[in-house]
Amino acid sequence: MRKPIPLLVAALALLLLVPVAFPHLKFVITLAVAKGFAALGVALLLRGGLISLGHAMYFAIGAYATAFLGSKAGVSDLVLLLVASTAVAALAGLVFGAFLVRYRAIFFAMLNLAVSMVIFALTSKLYGITGGTDGLRVAVPTVLGWAPGKAAFDGFLFYLCILLMVVLGWLVHRYLQSPLGHALSAIHTNEVRLEYLGVSAWQTLLTSYTISAALAGLGGALAAMSIGHVLPEFAFWTESGHLVLTAVLGGIGGVAGAFIGSVFLEILHTVAVGVAAEAWNLIIGLALICVIFFLPRGIYGLIEARRGSTKETGL
Amino acid sequence: MFQTIVPLFVDALANAALIFFVAFGLTLVFSVLRILNVAHGSFYSIGAYVSASIGLWIVSAGLNPWLTFPALLVSAALVAALFGPLIERTLVQWTYGRGEAVQILMTFGLFLILEDLQRLVFGVSSYYEDTPVALLGSIEIGGIIYLNYQLLLIALAVVALVAMRVFIGHTRMGRLLAVVVADREISEALGIDTRRMFTIAFTLGIFLAALGGALATPTAGVAPGLGADTMVLAFAVAAIGGLGQVEGAALAAVIVAAARVLAIYLFPALDAVAPYLVMLIVLLVRPYGLFGKPAIRRI
Amino acid sequence: MPKPKFRLAMTAAAAAALMTGAGWAQDKPARLDLGVFTFLSGPSAAYGLPGKQGAELMIERINAQGGIGGVPVSATYVDEAQGAEGVIAEYRRLAEGGRAQAMIAALSSGNCLALSPLADQLKMPTIGWNCDTHQLFLKDQPDYFYRPNGNTIAEFMAYTLYFLQQHPEVKRVAIINPDYAFGHDAAEIVKATLKAVRPEVEIVAELYPKLGASTYQTEISRLSAARPDVVFSNLWGGDLENFVRQAGPRGLFRQSAVVLALGETVMQRVDLPEGTIVGVLGDGWWMSPDARTIGEAEPFAAAYREKYGSDPVFPTIKMANSLIVLKAAYEKAISDNDGAWPDREQVVAALEGLSVQTLTGTTTFRDDNDGVVDQVIGTVGRAEGVDRPVMTGMVRYDGEALLAPVGQDPIAWIGTLTPDFLADLPRPGSYN
Repeated sequence: MRKPIPLLVAALALLLLVPVAFPHLKFVITLAVAKGFAALGVALLLRGGLISLGHAMYFAIGAYATAFLGSKAGVSDLVLLLVASTAVAALAGLVFGAFLVRYRAIFFAMLNLAVSMVIFALTSKLYGITGGTDGLRVAVPTVLGWAPGKAAFDGFLFYLCILLMVVLGWLVHRYLQSPLGHALSAIHTNEVRLEYLGVSAWQTLLTSYTISAALAGLGGALAAMSIGHVLPEFAFWTESGHLVLTAVLGGIGGVAGAFIGSVFLEILHTVAVGVAAEAWNLIIGLALICVIFFLPRGIYGLIEARRGSTKETGL
Repeated sequence: MFQTIVPLFVDALANAALIFFVAFGLTLVFSVLRILNVAHGSFYSIGAYVSASIGLWIVSAGLNPWLTFPALLVSAALVAALFGPLIERTLVQWTYGRGEAVQILMTFGLFLILEDLQRLVFGVSSYYEDTPVALLGSIEIGGIIYLNYQLLLIALAVVALVAMRVFIGHTRMGRLLAVVVADREISEALGIDTRRMFTIAFTLGIFLAALGGALATPTAGVAPGLGADTMVLAFAVAAIGGLGQVEGAALAAVIVAAARVLAIYLFPALDAVAPYLVMLIVLLVRPYGLFGKPAIRRI
Repeated sequence: MPKPKFRLAMTAAAAAALMTGAGWAQDKPARLDLGVFTFLSGPSAAYGLPGKQGAELMIERINAQGGIGGVPVSATYVDEAQGAEGVIAEYRRLAEGGRAQAMIAALSSGNCLALSPLADQLKMPTIGWNCDTHQLFLKDQPDYFYRPNGNTIAEFMAYTLYFLQQHPEVKRVAIINPDYAFGHDAAEIVKATLKAVRPEVEIVAELYPKLGASTYQTEISRLSAARPDVVFSNLWGGDLENFVRQAGPRGLFRQSAVVLALGETVMQRVDLPEGTIVGVLGDGWWMSPDARTIGEAEPFAAAYREKYGSDPVFPTIKMANSLIVLKAAYEKAISDNDGAWPDREQVVAALEGLSVQTLTGTTTFRDDNDGVVDQVIGTVGRAEGVDRPVMTGMVRYDGEALLAPVGQDPIAWIGTLTPDFLADLPRPGSYN
């Protein structure tokens, strides 16, 4: 399969120019990339044929971990915050996943939704601990001893997000090319045959599930720093739905799809706001249905198809 | 003792009746079509908006206020007739046999569209129409004043449950539905028009959701966001009962309602958590719900 | 499409105008753009919309009088119902995109808590027009965020003291507040005040339904079962309307005295039983004696009635007063700057310690950026010559007396009060 590398590099170069050309888009893109990590986690599971309607909870767990570590444990270093928050989300993914990945199809979707709603309800009701529906503030972190102002930090965070996107995107790509990654796709095609080959579906899925939770958690931590605030809504089921939407819109055929979908949606939202603020959900709902009907491999599939690839990795 | 137990009991049943209809619809659609309709909650709120609008119109037009009672039923039928066949024949039908990811996404897209359509049609301010409550008056039980309307709702929920039993067990259409639920392929081989059955079941499901919304309006306000909140609650009830299990949904509605009422009486800090906590506990022990059966892994 | 030659001429004319203009006011903008944040959809819009209308009308009136320092004002309205994440994003979009020079934000206490650090980070003068939580200025002291309409401490102390004066025999109190900062703060203040001035009072129920809940039937059962003498609530907007409509038929108003802190906002829309204690969270009662003395609230209300078909409610007045404060700050900054248009630092400097006469009284900024206003509270009743219920038995408490000194923990300060504090206050009915 030929990869649309040159196109992706060009898109990346364009992104890098954003802070110079459109300074006020910097925040939008930072947030888009952060959500892109969560969408990538969802896309990973979709490759295994599993649809999670609760992945926003790991995004929220990552975000709240950053807020708690900052305000309660006094951790202010960015690297430490990101690593610790991602680890917390991964741990949560491992624990919940051990139970959840035993189920398939609708029940997997449903049980994820169930767990995420408990997380949502707890974060919104435990006023004394989580700040309830007010959420928690996130202070501007320091970076290895450097204490930037908010503006400088925003610029730094933007480039950090792009860097992480490239590095982690490449790692996830490598993972998908590894035997473990191929086993994941095989679960979608024929799980029983995979088990006859001696590969444990449970282990394969639990690994992917934990990775996907970690990615969502990292996204949550980045978003928390960028927004400066965390809220229970991060875990609401419609957010989970939006993550699946983003992944499918971008296309789950390649790692880039999730980020393409996310950046595309956020930029469209910024442009459309004011013009179509009243009908934003209507527009993306229609777009989603059109993608399902006509473009099962998403925007990324569109790029791929132009390059002459015919590999079928859609829904 | 009596003083505290009885109100708890009445409140739990009144709450259960409120969520039963919408959960019933969700589980019915799943049992026949094998689809988790993520947009189901939107039909609840559309039913609520339509019935509130008709009720307000009846009052402002100076018609007999008792007309607001049949209006509740009519608005639900209206919503079902308008959306049921249309959506099933176009969007939902396309997803049959395409995997649950596509089905969930399709209905999620539909949910997003319906959320904005409601804003565009009904505006963004709250609706409130309580003529039926005022007409029926109130009653004192265990030292607390309840609305007779709340008791009527409990009775209606029981009637709906019995009616569904009778429909499935004693009418031709109901029996055909039961056959389709039991084995889709065999029923097609027998010459049953399954596509028609699907349309009927989907429309019936929407009718129940809209009816739930319509019946709730006299005791609750209607505002944007109602659909999304109702969706997860209906889902919790359906999941606890076991997706596709009607009796399960009825029992689960009582359990969820009792959990929430108990929380409000004893640990108010946890009221919104209670339904989901119950759901998680039930699903940890019985992942396919109280009445559900494990899905068979296909080879 | 103008012809190229004509376009050239226009450009030249514009350039000439700019150059001649440069002589007397270098940076004077063509327009003063404001971002105004309020609830425009959902249940909370019942409270947020009168606020927005207040802004529209006040801006219209300011512009009719020549704008602020000769510059006309315009506003972009942002819906807070989209949640704090969206509100933060919009605030940033307006600020960083250069589409607002000052903000009137926000309605919700939760949103103000989220926005106040942002105001400093983006150096954006921001007037918190409605949010009341005393937590806002407790931990940090933003330079760019000012709140002219007072905080929860004075507001809910005032209610507690008033109902104790009206119902001296009260023994059992129940609380039902929305589940976020505003509701929790109010409950904490009511409890602290009771503990200080009437320690024998018992709290028999404390409920926090979520903001935007559509039904309160179970909560009403719980409240009835607790048999309280007084039910206190700071539910608001559509929530408050729902609660009143649902609690009425179930006899709650007959069983207990009910305090609805934001009751004045729904008096025109639902039947509040006589005897219900209501108020305006500050001094923003447009028919109050002080408002009549000042004389500007009456024409404002008349214009409002003309435009929107109903009387203004206190969020309308809070919004109007906030714009008056912003205008005063700009005018002070302009005169401090020898008549030239001020930059944002100068506007914020002008806000420091500013004292402004509003439609309904006076607000004075303390060192912690909180405005001190009086508290007007009354009871729903009948007045001669008015065909609908109005506030009767009113009292106006001095705002200063109900606030902890700057820098002191307000809840701890309430704890130092004694029953004498209650005895020394003006009596209900003393403000006519």
